[in-house]
Amino acid sequence: MSEAFAVDVDNVVKSFGSLRALDGITLRVRQGEIYGLLGPNGSGKTTLIRAVVGLLAPDSGSVTVLGRRMPDLNILSSVGYMTQAAALYPDISVEENLRFFAAISGADSNVDEVLRVVELEQRRKSVVATLSGGMRQRCSLACALVHRPRLLLLDEPTVGVDPQLRVQFWEHFREMAAAGTTILVSSHVMDEAERCQRLGLIRFGKLLAEGSPNEVRAAAGTNNLEEAFLKLSGRTSE
Amino acid sequence: MSGHRVAAITRRLLQQFRHDRRTLALLFVAPLVILSLLGYLIRGGTSAPDVGIANQDPGSAAAIVASALERSSKIHAVTINAADGDAKLKDGSLVAYIVFPPDFSQLAQQGAIAPEIHLEGSQPGAQAPVLQAMQEALTSLASSAIRFQPHTTYLYGGPNLDQLDYFGAAFIGLILFFLVFVVTIVSFLRERSQGTLERLMASPLRRGEIVVGYMLGFTILALVQAVEVLLFSLYVLKVHNQGNVLLIFGFEVLMALSAVNLGIFLSMFARTEFQAVQFIPLVIVPQVLLCGILFPVSTEPKVLQYVSDVLPLTYAVNGLRDVMLKGADLTWPSLQLDAAVVAAFCVLVIFAGIATLRRRIA
Repeated sequence: MSEAFAVDVDNVVKSFGSLRALDGITLRVRQGEIYGLLGPNGSGKTTLIRAVVGLLAPDSGSVTVLGRRMPDLNILSSVGYMTQAAALYPDISVEENLRFFAAISGADSNVDEVLRVVELEQRRKSVVATLSGGMRQRCSLACALVHRPRLLLLDEPTVGVDPQLRVQFWEHFREMAAAGTTILVSSHVMDEAERCQRLGLIRFGKLLAEGSPNEVRAAAGTNNLEEAFLKLSGRTSE
Repeated sequence: MSGHRVAAITRRLLQQFRHDRRTLALLFVAPLVILSLLGYLIRGGTSAPDVGIANQDPGSAAAIVASALERSSKIHAVTINAADGDAKLKDGSLVAYIVFPPDFSQLAQQGAIAPEIHLEGSQPGAQAPVLQAMQEALTSLASSAIRFQPHTTYLYGGPNLDQLDYFGAAFIGLILFFLVFVVTIVSFLRERSQGTLERLMASPLRRGEIVVGYMLGFTILALVQAVEVLLFSLYVLKVHNQGNVLLIFGFEVLMALSAVNLGIFLSMFARTEFQAVQFIPLVIVPQVLLCGILFPVSTEPKVLQYVSDVLPLTYAVNGLRDVMLKGADLTWPSLQLDAAVVAAFCVLVIFAGIATLRRRIA
């Protein structure tokens, strides 16, 4: 199977009871690009990411990740997943968390390097429960990076992160993408959307528009991404 | 199954416990506290209940019985006035009083022995020693005419076997089972509530690797606890042991494995730690009541005996008692059955844990 797309979501439907969380969504992420998944709360962003990583089995349609039809446990050693809330073991140290997540992915550990990236070298021996919220978020990102994934799935990675650190995160994402890592990131912060190479606007589990930030703005006939988003999603700005 | 990944789970679990002193204390200090309490309760107390004696008999028969009661180790005899008896029962200073009426000797000569025994009555357990002491004392009256010398033999144990030997044997397994179960179910649930299970599921880890990794981690802790409990019971409390120590340890291992996997399995049916703790009265307490540790299974109502017969703890308790009190070994068919049932239960919950983990994630 071709690996032209790092992520290939094809006509995926997923319902929870009467709620149709993903409603026939089709979306393709190219190798080495930063793809931003935009949408209001409850639009299906997290459900889509969970389907991509194989945590949810679609009711119909298919998900292919790095050339492998999901769910596929083996390909997950090449995928990094950062959940919305920092999912870490609070009773052990930053370094112990990192070594653990590296070990279960079967990767040689990259601990020193990721600690530098998230600026937690000084706190490597600290127990996670003693860290601030922002530090935990950084540690959580480090755990998603520690096994040098080829595809990085980030579910609102900068929630609760201060502006300065957010800039740093995004600089790092850009470096990683330049080095060939594909990044699928969900957000509802528009200045983050500007930093993505391509955007997908989703609402009610459907893809409403897709393209570079400029293309999205042009499609909506506006110069402002936020307005474009509101227009395309059927809501109008005041 | 990758040994490397299983080891990663086990290592992380042990690291967590290294940082969590309170849980370590629960695992390693609590059993000693419980066993010490049990030991002191059973062996420490010499508190024979106070029993009043009112002798109104001018003859010699009552005096013989009364002096036998005074010598009894089962009660502590106190001389009282019959008129004060009821008041003393009420204020709790006596559990019973015995009145020898004025015609006691006279009636005894005619072949009727009629002491009055007044019991407090609200504590069934407190009556038994009074009645026993009374019966023994009455035989002293008879023994002036008849020699009363029963010949007693013991198939197992002996005259020195006490309640601690009987309960201790079962408690060794029960404490381990209970504490390991509680710690496992809560730890595994925390994995879900803190979101790390989601992360594990988005990694190349197989479900079986998670369960086996957990099992190994907790089993290591449980085995250390098992050795501690065993050594403490045998050498500090001096619980009677007639059997092979390795067999006792073998039962402990099986119970620890069962508890770990039962904890993993049941954690799938709870959403919060609070809900997990609710499994204790639902799953653990009925088993403790029916496993024969408190009341022998053979004395239970027939319907409950059927229930006891399908509970794994019943076999574990029976196995431990057979080894320690009767010196049973694996050539005994009953011990083979006990060990097989506990082992089968262990295997059943391992697979149940793996199966439900898969179902809950999908």
